[in-house]
Amino acid sequence: MRNGGENRGRLLVVILIVSSLFLITLDLRGVSVISGLRSGTHTALAPFQRAGNVLVSPVKNFVNDVTHLGRTHSQIEDLRKQNQKLREQLISRKNQDGQIEQLKSILDLAGKASFKVVNAKVISQGSSLAFTRTITIDAGTSNGIKNNMTVISGYGLVGVVKEVFANSALVMLATDPSFKVGVRIAGSQQIGILAGLGSINANLQLLDNQTTIKVGDILLARGSINGRPFVPGVPVGRVTSVSNAAGAVTQSASVRYFSNFGALGVVSVVVQAPSADPRDSLVPAKPVPTPVPTVTVFVTPTPSPSPTTK
Amino acid sequence: MLIRRFSITSAIFLLIFIGQEAVVNQLNLPAGGFSIFLILTLLWAALSTPVVAAAAGFGAGILLDLSPSTDGPLGHWTLILVLLSYAISFFSYGDENMRGNPLSLILMVVLAQFFVLIFYITTGFLLGVSPIGFVQTLTTLLGSSIWALVITPLLLPAVAWLYDLAFDRRLHI
Repeated sequence: MRNGGENRGRLLVVILIVSSLFLITLDLRGVSVISGLRSGTHTALAPFQRAGNVLVSPVKNFVNDVTHLGRTHSQIEDLRKQNQKLREQLISRKNQDGQIEQLKSILDLAGKASFKVVNAKVISQGSSLAFTRTITIDAGTSNGIKNNMTVISGYGLVGVVKEVFANSALVMLATDPSFKVGVRIAGSQQIGILAGLGSINANLQLLDNQTTIKVGDILLARGSINGRPFVPGVPVGRVTSVSNAAGAVTQSASVRYFSNFGALGVVSVVVQAPSADPRDSLVPAKPVPTPVPTVTVFVTPTPSPSPTTK
Repeated sequence: MLIRRFSITSAIFLLIFIGQEAVVNQLNLPAGGFSIFLILTLLWAALSTPVVAAAAGFGAGILLDLSPSTDGPLGHWTLILVLLSYAISFFSYGDENMRGNPLSLILMVVLAQFFVLIFYITTGFLLGVSPIGFVQTLTTLLGSSIWALVITPLLLPAVAWLYDLAFDRRLHI
């Protein structure tokens, strides 16, 4: 009996082996039922595989990160470098945009007055610890720049060329304490001397004791012979306060420069003054006040309750 | 009784096969990864009689042959698993020292898996399956053996429990 069971078992194993060989033969002969079975299994498994993929994705990513640790790290490094490069490009672009704006306003100003200018980039700002206010520009004798030429920004006077080299020049800013420029008041044409104080403000000393000055007056450069060191008509600043000290021979005033000396990116050096004085044509336009809408609220009193009698 | 055993065994194998295809195969584990389905089949064979092992190997082989990730002809895995499952069971059945000792079972399964893969590659070569590089073959063989060494001890209690469930036995492993 036991022998019979063993024989049946062996027969079953032989049948299984023969079946396997039969399947191999059928598949190798290209019977279409076999390929249909595989594609059917594939179709049946597809939803499970999709669900599995959703479940496995976080683990898969983790395993992938661990097994490709070096590569992931280098990828992160590459992306960091790329990010840094893009940031630098963005900053540079913003900087260039700012410089283009500055240049545009300078050219507007120079064009209005028919100044012949050489544009230059500010490559260095002098340290305030040196007690002088200077900047270095990237244009020099090779660009036709000479000593004592007027330097302007889009808003007005910046300073004067103090020293010039082959490809750069040192500019004394109007804020320098030793800076002095002859100015006239737009409109009234009263003249005075403006002296730098080391800050955005300067001190104006009028030359004529018969004249008066008021807050809001605009100062323009008077100009020098042959336009050096100052070309005429360049906007300098606006009077912010007037001092009427008792016993003073002439009036003095505090003036705020038009140029923003902390944000100088591009400046222009006036290499040739106009043949005619531009007079007051460069006076900056007054800011137009923006109307603020007012809201009128009508309040209607509610009628007070009248006493009722029963 | 036979139908109950067949149904439970089929359900277990089918579920593990789906788990293998849907989850484990997608993990892209290093060095070829592991196959819980193959480990299950070999463990099942080690716990069964030779005839049951051969039948289980046949069913598992059919499923593996139908797997979308298999590139050999249908019947290739079936033939290998019928022969190897029968061989494993033939060597271990009746030897309680072998079947009762988890360490022996684990080592036997790891070795069996190693030989299954070698047999699969060799017969695949004879059947015209495009051969893979020597280094890759060696990496896969060693890698899957290491994986099997790690996974088999974890799977063994669960497989023994499922085997008990299917065959109404109390294994002492």
